[in-house]
Amino acid sequence: MIKIENLHASINGKEILKGLNLTVNAGEVHAIMGPNGAGKSTLASVLAGREDYEITAGNVSFLDKDLLELSTEDRAREGLFLAFQYPVEIPGVSNVNFLRTALNEKRAYHGQDPISAKDFMALVREKSALVEIDPKLASRSVNEGFSGGEKKRNEIFQMAMLNPKLAVLDETDSGLDIDALRIVSQGVNALKSPENASIVITHYQRLLDYIIPDMVHVLYDGRIVKSGPKELALELEERGYDWIKESL
Amino acid sequence: METGTLNKLSLFVEDLNETALAPNALKDAAHEFLAGQDFPTTRSERFKYTRLAKLANAAFSAAQSVNEVQIAQSKILIDAYTIVINHDNIQIPKNLPSGIEVSLIAETQIPFNEAAFYDIFGALNILHASLGISIHIRQNITLDKPLQILQINSGGKTFYRHHFSFEKNSEVAVYFISKNTEGHSSFAHTHFQYNIAKDARVKIFKIQDTNVGHFDFNEDRAKQAERSHFEINTITLCGSFVRNDAQVIIQGEHAQTYLNGAYWLKEEQHVANYTTIDHRVANCESFETYKGVATDKATAVFNGKVFVRKDAQKTNAYQSNANVLLSENASINSKPELEIYADDVKCSHGSTTGQLDENALFYLRARGLSEAAAKNLLLQAFMEDVLAYVKNEEVLAYVHKRIAARFNWNY
Ligand SMILES: Nc1ncnc2c1ncn2[C@@H]1O[C@H](COP(=O)(O)OP(=O)(O)OP(=O)(O)O)[C@@H](O)[C@H]1O
Ligand SMILES: [Mg+2]
Repeated sequence: MIKIENLHASINGKEILKGLNLTVNAGEVHAIMGPNGAGKSTLASVLAGREDYEITAGNVSFLDKDLLELSTEDRAREGLFLAFQYPVEIPGVSNVNFLRTALNEKRAYHGQDPISAKDFMALVREKSALVEIDPKLASRSVNEGFSGGEKKRNEIFQMAMLNPKLAVLDETDSGLDIDALRIVSQGVNALKSPENASIVITHYQRLLDYIIPDMVHVLYDGRIVKSGPKELALELEERGYDWIKESL
Repeated sequence: METGTLNKLSLFVEDLNETALAPNALKDAAHEFLAGQDFPTTRSERFKYTRLAKLANAAFSAAQSVNEVQIAQSKILIDAYTIVINHDNIQIPKNLPSGIEVSLIAETQIPFNEAAFYDIFGALNILHASLGISIHIRQNITLDKPLQILQINSGGKTFYRHHFSFEKNSEVAVYFISKNTEGHSSFAHTHFQYNIAKDARVKIFKIQDTNVGHFDFNEDRAKQAERSHFEINTITLCGSFVRNDAQVIIQGEHAQTYLNGAYWLKEEQHVANYTTIDHRVANCESFETYKGVATDKATAVFNGKVFVRKDAQKTNAYQSNANVLLSENASINSKPELEIYADDVKCSHGSTTGQLDENALFYLRARGLSEAAAKNLLLQAFMEDVLAYVKNEEVLAYVHKRIAARFNWNY
């Protein structure tokens, strides 16, 4: 699905990613944990194509394409989805309107006809039910005035609507109550198939009770410094990150 | 000031005839005001951001009459009472319902009753206005259809003078559409005078869509009585040089005033909106929202003044101007001003000029929208609160069509 090799990225001349390697295969869920400021969101932004970062070395192949050569929108159309750690409020732009445009641009990219209004509304109903988001919320301005938890739910709603190949979820569990945590996990698990994959960035082991990862990675100082089975998350929860720093 | 030689202003008026419409005392005052004057420079407060050199040096072809095809093409509303104004001709529909009277200013002196002028153009209008209409809506009349006024220029320099009188409890929407014919550069200065009696509900929509090479100057003077509702919504779609100067004096309590504007500029367009809302009595509300987008080397000016006089307690006045600049060479000069002399009032004003939100653009693109589609959506959202005042579907469709044609933005 995605293969990241020796990725170096900097912003304002400061190197944040310092030779990151990660491979995720179709059908897998990988969790990334790591201390604040380690570079987790930077990785997510670089994968999504944020132009503020300068890629100084490395390769990323996504579905056998050179991801770094694609524009942000083409990455999305190829099937990459980023659930933002801090979803942006966009007053005046309706959630469903922009999702319809997004969906249709993706379909056009793949040579498909636009979705009919009827099918689109049916899809909105189905997916909003799946993530238990109030359909009224779905038709409001993007994230405007949403609570922290509602914003995160809206990210999962959009993900469900766009049905990506690879979803990168950046702390989608932060700020969620227990019910929302279950619902967001349901959304992620519903996407799970032999053709899809997810990268779940989190600080909390409890998310991984709902979304069982195939691998857990520790991102520290711009690199993946440790990888292991899901039990690694439990160990991190108990022992923190110091023992890993010391072992470096 | 030059003496002896002809200055630019004298050259500008050289081929204009004085008309016999205004009373002599007023003409004398205008002459006195203009004596020795040239076109104002940017050192003058009212033209600080407006370079008149272009106008001073412009050459205008002789005014032409427009034909029926051009008139038909200029209409925006199909189902409306339509008045057509051309430099030498005014067409008034014959099927007007009772309660509305339309006459030519040549037949009445009303438009000069309360004339005042603040700049050379206002004074020139007094002397040279040759054409105009006087519209009178009788009390308790609600027009069943909107009134559409098409003012079409085709070369030449023309001063117009229109007068509107809305009697008590009347209700009407007026769509004033200014256009000019392709290939003729022209200058138009239009003075509008509105008297809004108590309980009248009046909405003026100005659709300004002139070509490159046209100079479109407008001067609006309104007086509102108690419990009246008055709106001027100015939608500037095109025009190389547009200047709007609106003044509303609120004389009766519990009146509401809305002045709104939307402008989309490119190339070397210049659009200036000057507004004055004068709260003279208590318990009134005024709302002002001007929004615009500028790209290339376009320049926009907003200068909004709100006066809240000593007796205007419990005034609620809100004013805002927001702009999006899409190029480094576009510029906006925005100056909201509040002068408050009463103590129990709620007033706010604000002005913002910036680029589109980078984070929002990235967010939309990360969902698969092209950069153009993402910008399009953000600009549409930005202008939405002004366009929301335009409820007429035909007008909205026209606005969208013109923006798509000029900017390739699809709303
Ligand atoms: N514009 C910038 N200029 C300089 N440094 C930046 C800039 N943006 C981010 N950084 C730095 O990059 C580092 C990595 O940030 P990033 O957001 O990727 O961390 P993170 O692992 O996601 O942390 P958290 O767990 O707190 O979300 C931080 O030290 C941050 O301060
Ligand atoms: Mg982060």
